[in-house]
Amino acid sequence: MLRTIALTFLNEFRLLVQDRVGLFMLLLAPLVIIAVAGFSLGNLYGARMTAHTYTLPLVDDDHGAVARAIAAALADESAVTVVRVANLDRARVIVSDRDRAPLAIVIPAGTTADLAAGRDAHILLYVDPIKRLEISAIEFRIADLCRRVTAGAQAEVRARLADGSADLRARLSRISADLEALHSGIADYQRQLTNARSSAEGQLQTQIRRQMRSTIDALRAQTQAAVQRSVEQARATITSQLAARRDAISAVTIYLVALQASERDFDRWFTALKAAAGSHAGAIPPPPAFPPPPTPAALAELAKPIDLAFTAPPIPIPAASNAVPAGAITIKLPPPPPALPVPQLRADLEALAPPALPVIPGTLGWTERPVSGANANVNSFDQYVPGFGITFLLIGMLLGISLGLIDERDWGTLARLRVSGAPLSGTLIGKLLARFVVGLLQMVVLFAIGYALFGVSLGRSPAMLLMPAAAISFAAAAFGLIIACVARTHDSVMPFGTVVAMTMSAIGGCWWPLDFEPWWMRDFAQFLPTTWTMLAFNNLMIRDLPPISALWPSLATITLGIVFLAVGLFGASRLYD
Amino acid sequence: MPPLSAPALDCFSPSPPRSGKLVSVPTGVALLEATGLRKSYGSHLVLDGVSLAVSAGEIVGLLGPNGAGKTTTLSLLATLIEPDSGTVRIAGAIPSRRHRALRRRLGFVPQAIALYPSLSGFRNLELFARLHGISRLKARSESMRVLEEVGLAERAHDPVAVLSGGMQRRLNLACGLVHRPDLLLLDEPTVGVDPQSREQILQTVRRAAEAGAAVVFSTHYMEEVERICGRALLIDRGKAVAAGTIAELIALGGGLPLMELTFQDPAPPAWCDGLAGITQVAAPRNHGKIALQLESFALVSSILERARAAGAHVLEFHVHSPNLSDAFIALTGHALRDPIASSH
Repeated sequence: MLRTIALTFLNEFRLLVQDRVGLFMLLLAPLVIIAVAGFSLGNLYGARMTAHTYTLPLVDDDHGAVARAIAAALADESAVTVVRVANLDRARVIVSDRDRAPLAIVIPAGTTADLAAGRDAHILLYVDPIKRLEISAIEFRIADLCRRVTAGAQAEVRARLADGSADLRARLSRISADLEALHSGIADYQRQLTNARSSAEGQLQTQIRRQMRSTIDALRAQTQAAVQRSVEQARATITSQLAARRDAISAVTIYLVALQASERDFDRWFTALKAAAGSHAGAIPPPPAFPPPPTPAALAELAKPIDLAFTAPPIPIPAASNAVPAGAITIKLPPPPPALPVPQLRADLEALAPPALPVIPGTLGWTERPVSGANANVNSFDQYVPGFGITFLLIGMLLGISLGLIDERDWGTLARLRVSGAPLSGTLIGKLLARFVVGLLQMVVLFAIGYALFGVSLGRSPAMLLMPAAAISFAAAAFGLIIACVARTHDSVMPFGTVVAMTMSAIGGCWWPLDFEPWWMRDFAQFLPTTWTMLAFNNLMIRDLPPISALWPSLATITLGIVFLAVGLFGASRLYD
Repeated sequence: MPPLSAPALDCFSPSPPRSGKLVSVPTGVALLEATGLRKSYGSHLVLDGVSLAVSAGEIVGLLGPNGAGKTTTLSLLATLIEPDSGTVRIAGAIPSRRHRALRRRLGFVPQAIALYPSLSGFRNLELFARLHGISRLKARSESMRVLEEVGLAERAHDPVAVLSGGMQRRLNLACGLVHRPDLLLLDEPTVGVDPQSREQILQTVRRAAEAGAAVVFSTHYMEEVERICGRALLIDRGKAVAAGTIAELIALGGGLPLMELTFQDPAPPAWCDGLAGITQVAAPRNHGKIALQLESFALVSSILERARAAGAHVLEFHVHSPNLSDAFIALTGHALRDPIASSH
């Protein structure tokens, strides 16, 4: 068992070594594909672009500062050449005709005015949807440019605002100072007024008090005099009345004294009597009679109330009590208010009236539009259905034709055909024609399926797709003949044909848009039928251009096909005839 | 008997046809005439001065071992390749690639199965018939005719790939006959086929000749040449070594019985010295093989006795009447089926 394994293992290596073409292709095939893919997609990963410049047609309908700024900024871009054109139609022609013109810039009328008025404005980018990578690169620059323009305009306004703000701040500072001074003056004045009031109040109180005192003193003196006079009068009255009363009272008093003496005599008598009467005191006679009481008149006199009612003489009120004598009270007026900065403040305040504020500029942006009027959002299948259709058409053609020819040679049918008198060229062309029809049908079916499943665009005239399809079928068939001349064995045809087909497809823009590739590769791609065919398909399907747009690319493909056919027939006649 | 020297070849002229008719070539006139064909690939001389003439209705064998130059000769005759020197004339005209009408008179059956494997035999035949300028209807009828002729009518619509090797050989032959060629070039048409198919192929070839076709039959089977060819050209290492009728060629080999012995070990030197009536016609070759020409079949026992006496162990031996193979051995010193030396 182990021996079998070992021997088989070694034998396989012997066979591999014998198959030098296959062995070579084991390395060459991946290297070729790696190189093609690496160079093609290098730009996606940031590889440096070559020194070629983009051509950007510029339509200036604005004629304003924005347009000038954009043009000036683009002029500074080393990778961009700006071509001023009169109108969009001319710009469309440039974008459509030149590989290195991925988009046209249109600055609409009123862009500057819109921005100045604070409205957002958009410059229009009429893009060729196929040149996506270049568009992105340019749009990146234009986005930066828009930001710079917007930022410049806004910076200018900010500067003006800053100036206005500084002026306002100065005015406000002055007003603040004015107000401060006003406030200070008012405070001083208030203090002065307070002081004045306090002083006035003091003076007033002093003067009033003094005046009141003098008035009161005068009134008191007058009152006292009047009272004194009234008292004197009353005293006189009372004295007179009291004299009468004193007389009455003296009579009473005398009586009372007499009474009192009689009472005392009576008491003594009575006492003596009683003492004398001993047991007969009862039998003592009545006490002696008392003097008679004062007469009723005298008593009435006594009972008579003193007439206190007297008419008080009017108390004379000094005239001075009715009015403050002039000049009696003097109040010192406060000082006049200080000269407040009111006029300046008024002027400043008037100056503070809201100035005409500068308008903040709007934002400058960009809007992408397809140059041909097609949808700018490309359906990826519009690229991949024709792209990979061509790839597999090529593989089928290159392998089919070359292997078929080698088979015929190996089988001997080719010799038999030749002996039959059939010209080799006729035989070969017949073979190519059959493959051409198959390839054409293959493309038709692929497009039909692509349309049904993936919604690929068939352009304005689906029938026109037949032209590039036929052209690439023809060119591929012719190139298959060349492959059959170069690779003369099955072992070499498979890897060689596959690598050639894949390389032609990759470089020709079948796998990714051509603008992914560096310029040198694009220049080389001009010699490949895949490039022209993809251009035709892209024109019809993605750019939605009129059918005529596929004519020249298809003719270029056919021309290359004719060259391939001539070379292939020449080579085949040398090899097989 | 000393080895035979190569005969003069300028006498290889066409013989009258046995039967059939030709439209454009008068009877007895060579339909195919090749003179002094010389071809080399680089420094390798493949063919050196071969001449050949074939008349209508005649089958001429091209006999030689593998690598002798038969296929190159046929390719030159079929105008598939150009000779370095020499001329090929068909019906008196030198065929060129543009001489389509003339080439259509050729029927070429290459050694390989030159058929489209995925197509049916009928479709293959129809295609080649039409390529030879036959109308569609006639091509179909002719295809069926030739399929009948080679015994494949029942398998007419089977893909070639599913047919047996013998059937494919027959179909390969049929494709060369479908347009009724005036000149039929057969390059080893019986290689690797079963006896039944071989027989059918030989019969078909014979019928074609009988119908008037001039046939060049390349093979390394001498018995096939002996059976169907009126004349033959022996070719070895690119050179024509003999030409003539079968009888003439056999005579060139001495016309005596031949004995081939195979020893286990190389025979001792001079082991047969002294034996009368025998001639060694080929030096001892590998595998201890030698060939002796006998004056009489009666010498066989004496030879075997002598060998045993010399201590040589004979593995096998063959004794046969003189034939083309003997003539070839006599002329070239090696057998028809011996591989060509690497120097060739």
